[in-house]
Amino acid sequence: MKLLSNKTLMLLLLIISGSGYIISCTHDDDLLLPPPASNTVVITRGTHIHLPGTLTTGDSTQWKVDKAHSGVLWSTNYVGAAGLLTGRFNQFGIHNVTDAEKQNYITTGQPVKDTSWAFYENEPAKTYFNGYVQINTSNTGEPGRDAGCNIKAMGTTLIVPGTQNLTDSNIAQIHTTKVEFDPLSNDYIVTLNLTWHGLSPTPITQSIVGKLKYIPQARVQFGTAAAYSVFGLQLEFQFNCRDFLVASTSISDKINIECNMNFNNK
Amino acid sequence: MDTSFYAYLQQLELLGFFTGYPLLYAATLFIAGNQPVKNTFKSRVVSLLPFAYALVGTLYLGLQLKNLYPNYSFENVRLSIQHPWLTGWALLSVLFWIPFLAKKKVLSLFHSLVFFFLFVSDLLSNLKQPSSGAAAIRNDMKIYTGSLLFNLSAFALVVCLFFIANYFKKKNQ
Repeated sequence: MKLLSNKTLMLLLLIISGSGYIISCTHDDDLLLPPPASNTVVITRGTHIHLPGTLTTGDSTQWKVDKAHSGVLWSTNYVGAAGLLTGRFNQFGIHNVTDAEKQNYITTGQPVKDTSWAFYENEPAKTYFNGYVQINTSNTGEPGRDAGCNIKAMGTTLIVPGTQNLTDSNIAQIHTTKVEFDPLSNDYIVTLNLTWHGLSPTPITQSIVGKLKYIPQARVQFGTAAAYSVFGLQLEFQFNCRDFLVASTSISDKINIECNMNFNNK
Repeated sequence: MDTSFYAYLQQLELLGFFTGYPLLYAATLFIAGNQPVKNTFKSRVVSLLPFAYALVGTLYLGLQLKNLYPNYSFENVRLSIQHPWLTGWALLSVLFWIPFLAKKKVLSLFHSLVFFFLFVSDLLSNLKQPSSGAAAIRNDMKIYTGSLLFNLSAFALVVCLFFIANYFKKKNQ
């Protein structure tokens, strides 16, 4: 190939190559990234106030526990090492059971009213609740365990049909002592006293810190029925069952409790 | 995985091996200039271009053999090679080891221009795609740069080997 042809070829190749380099060096396709999201937790709280009043049916200012759709759940690692062993308490309530009320009641429903609570969304200092569970109503879905070794291990007595056993040895109670905002979320930090006999001859009280989540009030309506409002409270905490002299090796030291309480104003 | 992706990868392999040669060829001849007198240093260097091209083709053949290892059956070759005509054409570059073909160095240019045109058509088709085109062009140009350096290295190696061989040949005479 002659020199002129070489020059032409060289020029042509350089133009093509140069064009490719120029096009590839543009940054037209660079992504315009949005500014990074803030790491600050956005906390928004309303001003809802929920009170039980006298639980008058039809009074929409009075909030009632929807027990059928609530639950008190427990879980612990089986033998302290394996997966979770779980259960729930069939009978519970939000009531401060006084010494005078600690007795057997011949009834199938809750013998005491769920009125020992108040919730102020934006004033946690005013929020409080007292609750209880009947220990012998622990339900793991295994009758042999629930009415067998559980009863002995928890230091209580078998269920008597048609009777609500609120005696001292069969109830565990919680009483809040302080409710405050959680600075890292929309939730609340709750300090409470857990009182339970367990296998001790006298009740033992432990101060425990838990977390309370408020599921805000919402309006619901189904079919042609009258609309009503609902809200939820979810309390989670842990305690060491050895503090209450429970010695069973089938369960871990640590017991997780989750109380899912639903309320309505019907 | 889609076979079109393998086909694209094999096309990139071809571009990576052969697209740099035309510019190397033109630049070498441009630098050498009109050399009517033979057996000068420049003319000898220019005459080595087809051998450098043959070396590149041999390395490409080696890569294909490595990719096919250990199954060199016809069926596997047929299934593995997505561009049989282009691959076959690329492998023909090994023939430039034959001195008779190597003397006609412009043939090596024509041979490599097939891949250069493939490269140009790829650039043009990517230009038409506003979304992914720029990234593909950038990738093509990286491969082109790599090919330039690769061919230059192959050429430098061939030139070095030639002069070393020549040195020992003269010494033994």
